[in-house]
Amino acid sequence: MKTTKTVNFEKLAAQLDSVKADVKSKLGEQDAKYIRRVIVCQRVFEWSGRILLMLGFIQPVLWLVGVLSLATAKILDNMEIGHNVMHGQYDWMNDKYINSKSYEWDIACDGASWNRVHNYEHHTYTNIIGKDRDFGYGLLRLSSDFRWRVKNLWQFVTYLLLSVLFQWGVSYHEMAAERVFFGKKKDDRDYKVPHSELKKRFFSKGARQLVKDYLLFPLLAGPLFLWVFTGNLAANLLRNLWTSTIIFCGHFTGEVETFNQQGCENESQGQWYYRQALGSSNIKGGNLFHVMTGHLSYQIEHHLFPDLPAKRYREIAPKVQAIFKEHGIHYNTGGFFRQYFSVVKRIVRYSFP
Amino acid sequence: MSALFNSLSKHLLHHQSWAGYWEPVIQCFKPGWREGYFRAQVKHVQVFAEQNVELVLEPEKAWPIHQAGQHIALTIQTDGRLLTRVFTIASEPHMAKQQGQIRLLIRSQEIGAFTSKLTSLKSGQWLNISEPKGQFVMPNTARSLIMLAGGSGITPFIAMLKSIPADSKKTITLLYYAKPNSHWLKDELEQLKQSLSNFDYHLLERSKDGDATTWLTPNAHKHWLVCGPAALYNQAAALAKQLDTPIDSEHFSAVPAVLATSDKHELTLTHQGKTFTIDNQQTLLTHLQANKQPVTVGCGMGICHQCQCVKKQGIVRDIRTGELSDSSEQLIQLCISQPVSDVELSA
Repeated sequence: MKTTKTVNFEKLAAQLDSVKADVKSKLGEQDAKYIRRVIVCQRVFEWSGRILLMLGFIQPVLWLVGVLSLATAKILDNMEIGHNVMHGQYDWMNDKYINSKSYEWDIACDGASWNRVHNYEHHTYTNIIGKDRDFGYGLLRLSSDFRWRVKNLWQFVTYLLLSVLFQWGVSYHEMAAERVFFGKKKDDRDYKVPHSELKKRFFSKGARQLVKDYLLFPLLAGPLFLWVFTGNLAANLLRNLWTSTIIFCGHFTGEVETFNQQGCENESQGQWYYRQALGSSNIKGGNLFHVMTGHLSYQIEHHLFPDLPAKRYREIAPKVQAIFKEHGIHYNTGGFFRQYFSVVKRIVRYSFP
Repeated sequence: MSALFNSLSKHLLHHQSWAGYWEPVIQCFKPGWREGYFRAQVKHVQVFAEQNVELVLEPEKAWPIHQAGQHIALTIQTDGRLLTRVFTIASEPHMAKQQGQIRLLIRSQEIGAFTSKLTSLKSGQWLNISEPKGQFVMPNTARSLIMLAGGSGITPFIAMLKSIPADSKKTITLLYYAKPNSHWLKDELEQLKQSLSNFDYHLLERSKDGDATTWLTPNAHKHWLVCGPAALYNQAAALAKQLDTPIDSEHFSAVPAVLATSDKHELTLTHQGKTFTIDNQQTLLTHLQANKQPVTVGCGMGICHQCQCVKKQGIVRDIRTGELSDSSEQLIQLCISQPVSDVELSA
């Protein structure tokens, strides 16, 4: 962990709080319309995709368009809708279906489980080694805070595999974190959900996903079983690669810092903001790119204000950047390829002692 | 059929309801369409005396016509938020049958945040209403009737009086309490008096005419109907008990939590797997909101069922009736449920 320099934490907190308050006061019709529109797009992409997959026998290009369409739907559901709604960004709408309590997404990970680990642990204890179990997902060594092991030598391959199976990685993450299946069980850990419940959720949600994409929809297609089966497989793969890449670029670029537990005890709001600022990185891009990343291309803003509707990150980013500049805090941003290369470099760098 | 679709939707699309899954898409074609609600189109909005609002709505065809005295939950979307409040229908069922319209009379002083939004509704706009609800309807009795109204509590009586056949023989007396110069619908009451030979009314002011006891006591042999603030109702209810008079009532003002025990106890509340320490002095809704938990909030007085959820374990008390729940699994409304034991709510 780097020591904090001359940052005036009180001022930083006050400035960032006022950015948040300003957005909160503006939330309204526009934001509600936006999320509904994204949901409409998701429905349209999903069903055109599913239908096109069945038309591949007429012209294979239709199948390809179907795959892209379904993958787009899955990405929208995962990122701009699921992730953001489950963060409670739209709870203020009071809508029966668009709120963090009831939303469930189209990935293998059970929404309620994700909410607990991700919303609570990851967003509270961002990048505190030993507390935020997101760091490296326990699979990869991404900082010198961890002892080098032989398995780190081939961790780039592990990373690629993780990306391919990302939805299962996210789903398994919580089990791994709680050491449900194997590993040392810590006596002092406060198990909020019994292991049996976690296992049940893991298997039931996972099974439903498998049955849906690889059995039911293909069976509905009758003789075109294989067209639909491979189409779903491809769409899921594209979604997994995309989400994994975006998430790695938001958390594991070269300059992202880690923190130790002692340094973060009794931290003030300003220090908390500061940690969020140094623990994440942004990706530059166009509007469509931001939508497809669920605005996690504004990972810094997301970590500062996880429950503000994500589309608002665009308008506050310049303000946040200016505030960082004033306090001499590094605002980690760059183009997609630059950030991705930085991630790859980090994974490779820590493969070695 | 819809059960099948809902089950498919739940398992394949991860959405509790099939219609809900398509809701944002359907809204593109039918503005204001919402699953589980009826649509109604605004026909007329008028602000009358002291910012009170008259709203005429045209419910969709499928809406089951109300009985005079019943109420609906009205849901509007304002600044992207859905807000729900409960209002008595101030028009007779006949009007709904003939013209397809219903009328609401809304008093702005009591519920400012909501009504100020109502005044900006435009004719032609769509909003949502619930089915007609409530048991506060004309009683099936041979006795004469006393109607006791307080303030905006006049609305169900207007609906009832307008649906009485002209040849009805039963005597009806309306005692209408309001602040000086704020009695509603004086013209309509006068017209009713002209057309109904057996109807009479008194416009009363507490300061001038004394409280309801004076007026009610000589009428112990009649059947009482009361609609108004809790204070008015409580007084009438106590008197009715004393005089052994039949009484029906409706009161919409938020009921304060009345505790059987004034001792403060610490309890545990489990919600979505998270555990909180709470006391027994507030409703579950208040506790969940204080703990920043995601809850869908509605009317806040036990009517709209927006905040309904499944209680897995524990005992709660209904703050309106004081009734204790079972200790087993059942549906409760958070806003009117006060914990009596440790409580576990389902996810």
